[in-house]
Order: sequence, then structure tokens, then C-alpha cells
Amino acid sequence: MADHSNKERIPGVPRYRKPKGLKIDGTEPFFPNFLLKEWIVGSVFLVAFIMWILFNPVDLEAVADPQDTSFIPVPDWYFLFLYQLLKYVPGQVVWLGTVVVPGLAVALLLLVPWIDRSKTRHPFKRLIPTGAMILSLIFMAWLTYEADEQHKHALAKNPPKPKAPAVKDTAIVAPSDPGAKIFSQSCATCHGAELKGQVGPSLLGVGNKLKPEQIEEIITKGRGAMPPGIVQGDDTKKVAEWLGKQQQK
Amino acid sequence: MLKKTYDWIDERLGVTPIWRDIADHEVPAHVNPANKMSAFIYCFGGLTFLIITTQIISGMFLAMYYVPDIVNAYNSVKYITDEVLLGQIVRGMHFWGASLVIIMMFLHMLRVFFTGSYKAPRELNWVVGVLIFMVVMGFGFTGYLLPWDQKAYWATQVGANIAASVPVVGPYIRILLVGGADLGALTLTRFFAIHVFFLPAALLVLLGLHFFMIRKQGISGPL
Repeated sequence: MADHSNKERIPGVPRYRKPKGLKIDGTEPFFPNFLLKEWIVGSVFLVAFIMWILFNPVDLEAVADPQDTSFIPVPDWYFLFLYQLLKYVPGQVVWLGTVVVPGLAVALLLLVPWIDRSKTRHPFKRLIPTGAMILSLIFMAWLTYEADEQHKHALAKNPPKPKAPAVKDTAIVAPSDPGAKIFSQSCATCHGAELKGQVGPSLLGVGNKLKPEQIEEIITKGRGAMPPGIVQGDDTKKVAEWLGKQQQK
Repeated sequence: MLKKTYDWIDERLGVTPIWRDIADHEVPAHVNPANKMSAFIYCFGGLTFLIITTQIISGMFLAMYYVPDIVNAYNSVKYITDEVLLGQIVRGMHFWGASLVIIMMFLHMLRVFFTGSYKAPRELNWVVGVLIFMVVMGFGFTGYLLPWDQKAYWATQVGANIAASVPVVGPYIRILLVGGADLGALTLTRFFAIHVFFLPAALLVLLGLHFFMIRKQGISGPL
């Protein structure tokens, strides 16, 4: 080890920093050495995160409608395992699924340090905790998978109704316009041949809300579940202008 | 000038030992991925905190436009998504970040569990960690309602009914959550307040404890 006399201090280095010679077996100070490396990991992580966000825009469903009881509810994915658990619990003892099982799971998790009191830390040397955790993971994964499958199945059986057009007048403006022809070829499968909507929303009266330029932008850039660039080139403008004329009340 | 200002503050408050203590604490080799690649599992906790930070920041920006009442909530989210500059991105960060926090936190918990790091003397830090997990799940549950779309409304309806099915206290929990007999205006303001005031306060306190304890006790040694 080096002699840590003041002569060895590199000028400008703060007083409290330990001299380089003190480092042993790959240990390093938190700042700046480790934090800089960790920040690189963090940056890569953040860039990947931002890329994911750019390619997976969040959409918004229809506004909440307390009257529409046909809507099939589903919680966010990380609650699915709890939600699915309830489906296997008979109605009379529903508290088993709402209180007892989750409560026990949380209590076990909180008390793990006092349950598994052996000195060994290696996962393979304490097979009961390791095994219990792996089994719980498999069970949770299976519950989540089942919940998702059943939700998909329920959706397939009861597809959400296309929203009835809010306008009373359903007559299409300028049905022989070139835009109308392009629409029936490229857009009608989703938005309906009569603009009443299918998978996509109804476009009756769309001209009241959006200008042709805005419609053009939505077509080229896509929106929500609608992919960009279904209509290409000059046709985009023609369709957009024709849709802009649809000002049904 | 900068140095003089620093020295002036340091003379009065003695900040140098505090930050040098944080800066100089040793990071052991077995948790440093630069040493051994497989040590990346020790990064999960830090990454969880990084994403929590982005959640706080994106949430603060969303709160500039979001209106927590049943007439305007949906429209304000729509406005954020379609009109506000970078609104789609900020909302995307908050939406996807929510899932990412859960994933990273879960991975961090599994790392701690499988390396047996919760063992003495770190039992209390494990307990605080589990509490943080609960608080984050609370964030997920309350945040899901805020856009006030169909998905949000009906999922919360289910959640409230599940709470009501708890024996004896269930109906009271439901009223406490929902703010009345039916899901409505009061539910939204309640969830909003819980999501942006109550839970963040709880989370910051718990995170403070979590970090204080890890600094005090150090990270668990190699297996």
C-alpha cells in the first residue's frame, strides 16, 4: 500500500477522497466511478423504454358509460392473477379469494425473514423457500395466462358493438366523388361502407370536427389502432377532402 | 466564485462529509456488472428507482392538463393525447412506465428473495420493500380509473365490488373507496387525491427508509 502522506495528494482532488492505492478486489467508490457506469446502464434502459413508447402509442377507449352494462371489464395485467383467482372460488365463500388467500400470501411475504431463518443464503441450499417461490410464480403466471385467454374468448363471443352514429342524418354527401371510391376500397372494411363504423369509429359528420388537412394527417400518420399510410399518394388528399364534406348533423 | 460559495455554505452547514460519505462508500465487486456481467441482477433496484423518477416527472406534467372531474377527465386525457405537444409521449411514458415499475420491482424482489438478502440483519428493509410493493399496486389501481374511459370505469367497478365482498367491513371499504353508493364524481376525485397526494407521500417516506437502511447496513455479501 502506498504511503498516504499529503505529498501524494493530487492537486484539486477533494480532501476526503481515498487514495487510489486503497482499492482492493474490484471494489470501487460509488461516486463517480460506479454511478457513471450505472448511468450508462440506465441510459440504455431509458432509450429502449422511449423506443417502446414511440412504437406503442397509448389509445383511449370510449368515454365511461355507466349505462352500458355489456362492457366486459378487465383489470390491468398485473391484477389479472388476483382477478382470475376469484373465478375459482364459489360465491358463498368468496371471502376465501378476496381476503384469506391474498392476505395469507402478503403475510407470508412480509414474514419471510422470520420463517426462513437459516444462515445459508444460496437458493439451492434452502430448497423450501426457493421451491415455494418458484411454485407461486408458476401459479401466478398460469392464472394471468388463463385470465387473458378467457378475456379474449369472452370478447370473441361478445364483440363490442360498434358505436351507433351520433348523427341523425345518415345520407352520404357526394357518393360519386372519386374520394368515395377510394374509401370503399381501402377504408370501408373498418369504418363501414355507409360510414357507420365497424371496427373503427363512425365517420358520419366527421367534417364537423376535422378539416381535410387534419384528416389527411390522421391517414398518413395513423391513430390509435389505425395503422399509418393505408391510403397512399394523391388518393390521401382525395379521400380526406371527400371526408371533410361529410358534415351530417 | 463557485468554490467560494460552496466554502461559505460548507463552513456553516458542513455538507462535505455528508456527500463525501455517499460518494465514497464502497461498491463491492460482486454487485458490479463491470466486474462480472452476471451481477446485472443487482441493477434491478436502481432501475426501478429510475423508472419511479420518470413516473413522478411525467405525472407532474400530466397534472398540468388533467382535470379530475367526470365531465372533463376524459376530454383532458384526449386533449393530452391528441393536441398537447409531446402529450402522446408523456402519457405513453406514464402508461408504460406503470407496467415497467411493476416488472422491475418484481424482478428486484425476486433477486433479493433468491439471494436470501432478506436475512438478518436486513429483515426490516425487506418488510419496507414489501410495503413499497403494496403502495405501487395502489398506484396502479387508482391510476387506472383516471382516464375515465370504459375500461377504467368497469375495471374500477369490479374492484369496488370485490372490496364490498369482504365479510363484515366490505361495504364500508367500498363506501370509503367509492365515496358513496355509486361510482361517480366523488370516486374520481378520491382516486385522484390518493394517486397524486396520499400514495406519493407514502412512497417517498418508504423509499427514504429503504435507502437509509441499505446505506446503513450495506448490500448483502457474495453468496
